[in-house]
Amino acid sequence: MRRYTMNIGDREFVVDVQELAADQFSVVVGGESYEVNLSADESLGEAIITPDIKSGGSVRAAAPARKEAAAKPAAAPAASAPAAASARKPAGGGGKGTQSAPMPGTIIEVNVKPGDTVERGQQVAVLDAMKMHNIIGASRAGTIAEVYVDAGQAVDHGTALLKYKEE
Amino acid sequence: MIDQETIGLLLKGVNNVTWQSLVMIGVSFVLLYLAIVKDYEPLLLLPIGAGCLLANLPLSPLIGEEGMLVALYHMGVGNEMFPLLIFIGIGALTDFGPLLENPRLVLLGAAGQFGIFLTLILALLLGFTPNEAASIGIIGAIDGPTSIYVSGILAPHMLGPITVAAYSYMSLVPIILPPVIHLMTTKEERLIRMPYSSRKISRRTRILFPIIVTVLVGTLVPFATPLIGMLMLGNLMKESGAVERLTKASAAEIANTVTLFLGLAIGSTMVGADFLKPSTLFILVLGLLAFALDGCAGVFFAKILNWLSGGKINPIIGAAGISAFPMAARVVQRVAQEEDFENFLLMHAMGANAAGQVASVVAGGVVLALMGAGG
Repeated sequence: MRRYTMNIGDREFVVDVQELAADQFSVVVGGESYEVNLSADESLGEAIITPDIKSGGSVRAAAPARKEAAAKPAAAPAASAPAAASARKPAGGGGKGTQSAPMPGTIIEVNVKPGDTVERGQQVAVLDAMKMHNIIGASRAGTIAEVYVDAGQAVDHGTALLKYKEE
Repeated sequence: MIDQETIGLLLKGVNNVTWQSLVMIGVSFVLLYLAIVKDYEPLLLLPIGAGCLLANLPLSPLIGEEGMLVALYHMGVGNEMFPLLIFIGIGALTDFGPLLENPRLVLLGAAGQFGIFLTLILALLLGFTPNEAASIGIIGAIDGPTSIYVSGILAPHMLGPITVAAYSYMSLVPIILPPVIHLMTTKEERLIRMPYSSRKISRRTRILFPIIVTVLVGTLVPFATPLIGMLMLGNLMKESGAVERLTKASAAEIANTVTLFLGLAIGSTMVGADFLKPSTLFILVLGLLAFALDGCAGVFFAKILNWLSGGKINPIIGAAGISAFPMAARVVQRVAQEEDFENFLLMHAMGANAAGQVASVVAGGVVLALMGAGG
């Protein structure tokens, strides 16, 4: 088992990673344990990590702190517990400005980019959960401000997918 | 030089063509068509169709005393080994997580097996023997290996039609299940949203689950021990992560090889005179009925749960309480999303579906126990 102690912003995370199999890890972050499936692991060569770089290897990770987390190995902190987001919001997110993943899975396609105008219900992404491709429809009409996820990325329930522009 | 006898020997094949074998060759073409063109469970229907064709060619040496198809039959169908080996693979592919997150879904899996017993009674009334009736009812579980296992013990002479029915209906789940759901539910019910409840299931729970289920079910329903034991063995290998190579082999190479052998052997039992009986037609119709009734029972029970919970359970997830993992759950999700694109029932449906998988195995064991089979 390896212990990574990392500081992200002003918070410290202690991440314990235990390798169960080549692509399976048991990860403990802040007392909560997660099973992590590594779906890709590639060397990006000499690339320098900048705040905006997209994560090559996707891991089952929870929402915020995403960009900062991108550079890290197998584990990402489950910063704000997904449970908090789960109870209140209806399926499909529909929170004020952001739309979040309705269930855990892997993003297969992202169909919108910042600046796009969407109708309510229009396909914005495809989420693979339990090997089924689920179409994620826009939770409201509006303009996309930001997209937080990439194709191939694992998401947990409540992970923010995208943000709408406030009108 | 060429006398009557020589000509007779040379034309032996042609002379031994019977109308039954011609019809069965036609049936094999239908199965091959369904597998190749219609993509209905091709992994099984193609080998079954091929086995059926090869067994019905005149004087086919393949079903002679030492014929390959006969050898395959004795190797793993007569003694029930093939369906059990397939079950290890199914266990290695099944994720019981959604069920463990929401254990009360077990009830839906249990409800999804009622059709089996209703059909059993109906088949008895139609004049089938108890053993035959039980084998027909089990088609309703829409669980191929369980159907093969149960009918192999109770009614080996009906193995061909029962297997074909079980696998055909399995591929027809997306066509048969939605009308059943629509018939049983109102639009308001189909619109009930069920947010995903994220509860982390510890690795220890996931590992203990298959062991506990095996001990529990094996003790309560000894006839289900072979099926549940192999299903849970596969799951234990998957969840423990300790034997990744065995897990992969069980889910891929072994399951694929056995599927080919099983299909060929089953196909070879579909020989003219035995298959072309009115009872075959009854089996197909009753099997379909068992399937529809299972779906209805699951939905009906989910309605009761919904009522008890004060409107928090969408009754359509009950339709996933039949087996046919994971297709039934996907169909339920699709029906839900047709009504409301923001409603994601998949995880709940998967839970009910995984419960249905276990319950159909238990139902198979119960049916065997009721018939006093085995020994």
